[in-house]
Amino acid sequence: MNLQTKIRAKCKAFYALALVALLLSAHPIAAQKVVPPVSKETLKVTLPKAKEATLKNGLRVVVLEGYDQLPTFTMQMVILSGGLSDPPDSRGLASFTASLLREGTRTRTSLEIAEQVESLGATLSANSDLSSFTTTVTSSGLAQNLGRVLDILTDVVREPVFPADELEKHKTRTVSQLQLQRTNPNFLAGERFSRVIYGDQHPAGFVSSPVDSLKKTTSADLKKFHSEHYLPSNAILTVVGQVTLKEILPKIERELGDWKRGDAPKTETRAVPNQSAPKIYLIDRPGSVQTVLQLGNLGITRTDPDYFALLVMDKVVGTSPTSRLFRNLREDKGYTYGAYSNFGGSKFRGTWAANSEVRTAVTEGAMKEFMFELKRIRDERVAPDELDNAKHALVGSFALSLERPQTLLQNIITQKLYDLPADYWDTYPQKVAEITAADVQRVAQKYVDLSHLQIVAVGDAAQIRDVLAKYGTVEAYDSEGKLIKATDSK
Amino acid sequence: MKHLNKTLQTLLLCLLVVATTPAQQQTKVRIDLRETKLKNGLRVVTVEDHHAPVVSLVLIYNVGGANERKGRGEFAHLFEHLMFQGTRNIEPGEFNKLVGQTGGIVNATVNDDRTVYFEVVPADQLELPLFLESDRLRGLSITQQRLDIGRKAVQEERRMRILNQPYGRSGEVMTELLYDNFAYKHGGMESMEGLDAASLEDIQDFFKTYYAPNNAVLALVGDFKTVEALAKIRKYFEDIPRQPEPSPIDFTEAEQKAERRKTIEDALAPLPQVRIAFKAVPGNTPDFYALQILSAVLQDGQSSRLYQKLVKEKELVNGVGGGIGEKRGPAAFSITTTLRQGKKVETVEAAIYEEFERLKREPITNLEIEKAKNSINGAFINNLERSLIRAITVAQYAIFYDDPNLINTRLDKTNSVTREDVRRVANKYLKPTNRTVVVTVPKAATDKTAK
Repeated sequence: MNLQTKIRAKCKAFYALALVALLLSAHPIAAQKVVPPVSKETLKVTLPKAKEATLKNGLRVVVLEGYDQLPTFTMQMVILSGGLSDPPDSRGLASFTASLLREGTRTRTSLEIAEQVESLGATLSANSDLSSFTTTVTSSGLAQNLGRVLDILTDVVREPVFPADELEKHKTRTVSQLQLQRTNPNFLAGERFSRVIYGDQHPAGFVSSPVDSLKKTTSADLKKFHSEHYLPSNAILTVVGQVTLKEILPKIERELGDWKRGDAPKTETRAVPNQSAPKIYLIDRPGSVQTVLQLGNLGITRTDPDYFALLVMDKVVGTSPTSRLFRNLREDKGYTYGAYSNFGGSKFRGTWAANSEVRTAVTEGAMKEFMFELKRIRDERVAPDELDNAKHALVGSFALSLERPQTLLQNIITQKLYDLPADYWDTYPQKVAEITAADVQRVAQKYVDLSHLQIVAVGDAAQIRDVLAKYGTVEAYDSEGKLIKATDSK
Repeated sequence: MKHLNKTLQTLLLCLLVVATTPAQQQTKVRIDLRETKLKNGLRVVTVEDHHAPVVSLVLIYNVGGANERKGRGEFAHLFEHLMFQGTRNIEPGEFNKLVGQTGGIVNATVNDDRTVYFEVVPADQLELPLFLESDRLRGLSITQQRLDIGRKAVQEERRMRILNQPYGRSGEVMTELLYDNFAYKHGGMESMEGLDAASLEDIQDFFKTYYAPNNAVLALVGDFKTVEALAKIRKYFEDIPRQPEPSPIDFTEAEQKAERRKTIEDALAPLPQVRIAFKAVPGNTPDFYALQILSAVLQDGQSSRLYQKLVKEKELVNGVGGGIGEKRGPAAFSITTTLRQGKKVETVEAAIYEEFERLKREPITNLEIEKAKNSINGAFINNLERSLIRAITVAQYAIFYDDPNLINTRLDKTNSVTREDVRRVANKYLKPTNRTVVVTVPKAATDKTAK
């Protein structure tokens, strides 16, 4: 019986304290171990409520008042269109549009926008992923400057002009950045994994804009995307910080009340392709001293009823240093600096995957341990104490996340974007608590799908190819993503 | 007791007040911190904050890379891992597990000047990190096997962060070239060998010298009652024996008389990268604050001079990054930039040096200095949002400058810098003779681009 089991078997809240105090004060070198003081109570958490309003043109406004004790704010305009609205022959258009918002409006040049934002000690950025159904324009700064920052944010959202010279500069900069990204083994692993799971017909199969579609994009394309999607009825403006709805609403009315309404095209969610048989995708990176491994397959949508069961399963397997993968591959074997798993879901099915960076010589050992852990979570029920610990940790970290006002706001946005029940976050601890060992095993058997397991390895092919071949068919690529024919590789 | 209660009331009244004067955009931070020193020399700083059910505990030790000796490189880093390898009461890996089970966060970080250990836990778990941190300060159970695991993790971290990344070695090469004094000079390859040579005895010795209550600061920030928390801190820490004070580090660097330059090849790098550094000053000195403003004007944000010149106008590079490091000894002011395809290193260097000359010649504009101050103010305040950052900040200021209250006065120091100060430090530090340059070139393309 190890120490952990002892604690869990015996420990009620603060039971151990008396013992600790006794041992420490009387016999600091006593032979008996001291039991760590762990409280097993579940922390009670109350969530602040947001205030809401809707302008006549349909713009929704959500304000989380005064939760932040610092005189600061974070403001986010969420446009309910993103990369999922890209035409298939213009992947990256939404992302491109977002990137160019700051590069000039009817009344401000790119430099003026940068100067004004930075003069206010504020930040302003805009972003949309290729597989996202939203575009976000985010700003933060000191509460006293909120009005002035709102003015700039409104300007870039409503009146961008996408100047041709800035467009060209952005293209060359992006192509050059992509070239740098290709040297990052994690980027290469993520890129291949996405392509394997989603193919080249689904937006999620792309992690960056293809260079050819980037190059042919014109100012007119960006203007068209902007005018079709950046509309008040297709947006939510959210603010958190030392601010009240009453104070800020008249300012929002003034800046955005006359923003013309219109109907944005509905975002269509493309079905994900059927999954293929297991295979190993090896990206050759000669001279690599480590192998980046990523193993996984298709997961769930954000609103899937299996969400909480998968959340708990993922915690048991690999979310943190207390999870199985980290304890096995790092703490026990010393193969790596870290080993984790993760999952995510959107309006389409996301992925579940495990990953690590291991030194080249132990690639085989790492593969063995990964496969062992993947099988174990499917074949064996999680022990009651391991399950309890995972659930307790999930609820605790949820409580910790409330320290950041932005997290609270993000939760509110998520609830709105996915039409989750109004009490979704209030009942979060309860939903975690309800998950059983049988639930965990059921979702493991469903989503840790070994019959469709895809494995991506980025490393020195000359050293790891044969090792990987023991686990299935190997298909090799170069760092540009080009298939290396079997005849070339020898 | 009455007195204590009064202190407590005051604490509760003014937790964190930040006053601003809108005209100048200048902002004042007021964090009510309380300092206590335990009998064994452990310095304790506490800040109550009840806005979320969270507490952050930080233990910062006055030991870092600068304390390492020749042939014993990377010891400080090794300890950052060994401290998780178990004690008489805690098995290897159990520390993380216990904190992790509460949903808490636990980690450690080390640099040349200090080692930081921290936990963030739900407020009702305060006792756990206090127990765990005091337990490992009392003594580690280091066996050969645990030492090997710790050593492997350090080496693996180095493989991941440095050897497997493009430009991974460039920073180390810069450090080795820039400094003459071993304190800041060593790193890199030397360290891997130092680690392999480490014996159990070396390790015990290092632990005893530096992991002592009188060589540490404890900071606690969050949802607790100060009186109760202090009683618990006393209970867990006060009977840990103090140790002889470690000898102070000599950071002295001889004046640099000529430019230093090195070109290295990197098989993983696709494009040339230029790193430029100038030896400068320790943190929290007048010149440090002036160099921070100078750096903001030069390279922070899209309206900065180098971004506008190098990225937007001349399209030579993708971005520019750097600044003045904050160290206890002489930190470097640095600039790093990666070239675009087909651009020449000497063109980029010349464009940067031209901007240096401009800074030396003419004062920066009023708009530029206001912009720099507001950016620094905004970033500093935003960063204090998390209790963990507040705890690390006060603890670090206590151990670096003997002044945890610097968290409240720091922005005054930033805001008192003048345009003339900026010109003065440009002339004082950005001299060609004080310059060190490391150019990293793609391995295959050395012949074409190295010149």
